[in-house]
Amino acid sequence: MFGRYRGTFHREDGDLLVETERNGCLLTYRRKCGGQTFERLLVSKTGEIVINPVEPVNLPKEITNFLQIEFSPMVIEPGATQTVYLKFPVEIGVFLEAPRDIEVLDVFGLGTQKYTLYGSPTSGVIARWYQSAVYTEIPPVECLCEGVMVLSIHNASHEWVEVSCAVFESTDMKIYYGDFVATTATMKVISTTMAETDFVDAPLRPGMVKSVELYSARKIPVINRGYLMEWGLS
Amino acid sequence: MGSVVTFNVTEILEIPIGVGEITAWNLLYFVIILIVGVAVAKAVSVNVRRALSERLPKNERELLTKLIYYIIVLWAIVIALPQLKFDLSGLLVAGGIAGLVIGFASQSVVANLVSGLFLMFEHPIKIGDNINVADVSGSVEDIRILSTVVKTYDGIYVRIPNEQVFTSNITNYVHNAARRFEYNIGIRYQDDANEAIRIASEVISTHPFALKSPAPSVFVDNLGDNSVNLTVYIWAPARNWWDVRTDLLWKIKQELEENGIEIPFPQRTVWFADGLEVKNRTAGKKETEE
Repeated sequence: MFGRYRGTFHREDGDLLVETERNGCLLTYRRKCGGQTFERLLVSKTGEIVINPVEPVNLPKEITNFLQIEFSPMVIEPGATQTVYLKFPVEIGVFLEAPRDIEVLDVFGLGTQKYTLYGSPTSGVIARWYQSAVYTEIPPVECLCEGVMVLSIHNASHEWVEVSCAVFESTDMKIYYGDFVATTATMKVISTTMAETDFVDAPLRPGMVKSVELYSARKIPVINRGYLMEWGLS
Repeated sequence: MGSVVTFNVTEILEIPIGVGEITAWNLLYFVIILIVGVAVAKAVSVNVRRALSERLPKNERELLTKLIYYIIVLWAIVIALPQLKFDLSGLLVAGGIAGLVIGFASQSVVANLVSGLFLMFEHPIKIGDNINVADVSGSVEDIRILSTVVKTYDGIYVRIPNEQVFTSNITNYVHNAARRFEYNIGIRYQDDANEAIRIASEVISTHPFALKSPAPSVFVDNLGDNSVNLTVYIWAPARNWWDVRTDLLWKIKQELEENGIEIPFPQRTVWFADGLEVKNRTAGKKETEE
């Protein structure tokens, strides 16, 4: 499903259908997913259609930039560093690429969505919520629904710390795809209630392709500065 | 033979207009400088707005562009005033007296202006927020120097002077990230309230924007005259709560009914102390026999 397409193509995976159809001098882009159909007429001679996994904060509509992954509680000793694998939700973005511009055409997903509030109602943030088990090896994933997150947790505090969730700013997210979708993240625990999270721009395996990011396609300038979790770690 | 009248434009423009030594030239220059100043201010503010359209939130963007606009206009006025033989240094001397006079004359204007500046910097409301202020509910369309424009939910334009906005209680429905709303649902006495709670909780959990945390709460609130009354508390993103509220109630009702739990009509059991019903029946029987 993921990749670059020029002209007409047809991809089908279970309930999901993505295709373009030549209609005279026009090209019809059509997507069917979860009983819904999305169509656009395209006027393009040299443009390419790029389909790749994107930051999972756009469905059913975009209301936040944050992603919260809840996982089984881990108690980490002071100074310890551990790399674990989590699953994260995947949404699929379709982009129109011309030599000098790229535009978002469509975003869809196969999974369900749930949102939560991280922090207090007055100053917390709304975040896309996802629950994952903690894996010590790369877990098997359904490629179009979920991806693998490599999370390196470092307890930089002087206390034992219990961690059961990580909140990320999705604008920093770097997603790679190949046989499966993957991203690499870090979490530096500062105290029992605070941690810094960030993404690392590196593929999980050699040969993986980097996804086009929604924020760069939308030309929204973003400063990669990670996120400071100040409302607790569980 | 008709007489030929010639005009020398330069000479005409140098004729005093009757106010001090101000000539038509001076007046023309003054107007031109003002027009150029306003045009430059408009052009700069439009370009700044366009350049910042995707970089700054609408509220900050509008504030900045307005600030730039008024600074340039003010600058043009300062440049243009000497054309009217207006000694700006004299302003300092006259300022005190003039200030008093103008202050008394334009008390409400100044109050609105100052309130507007405070509103812009204090940020109790932003453009696009859903608010209730001075008994007006709606979304903020614009925060101007002297007034705030609110579009009511039925699409009506309301201009509220900033002084009134600043001194009124402001309810901003979307200031916080999330807000709570509630439903009251009555079920029949013979229905299983625990089952109803389970069903309602399940429906809520499937809605993307019914927040996972703070968790929704469904409980038997009171035993009413005609129904067992459940109360449902749901937290939703502040900017989407109305959609969630309108979407979920019907889904809960449908799901309850599909599971045999009904929302009862008001009802009352009437007991006749003197056996009125029996007497009537006997009378009815007699009539049939006859």
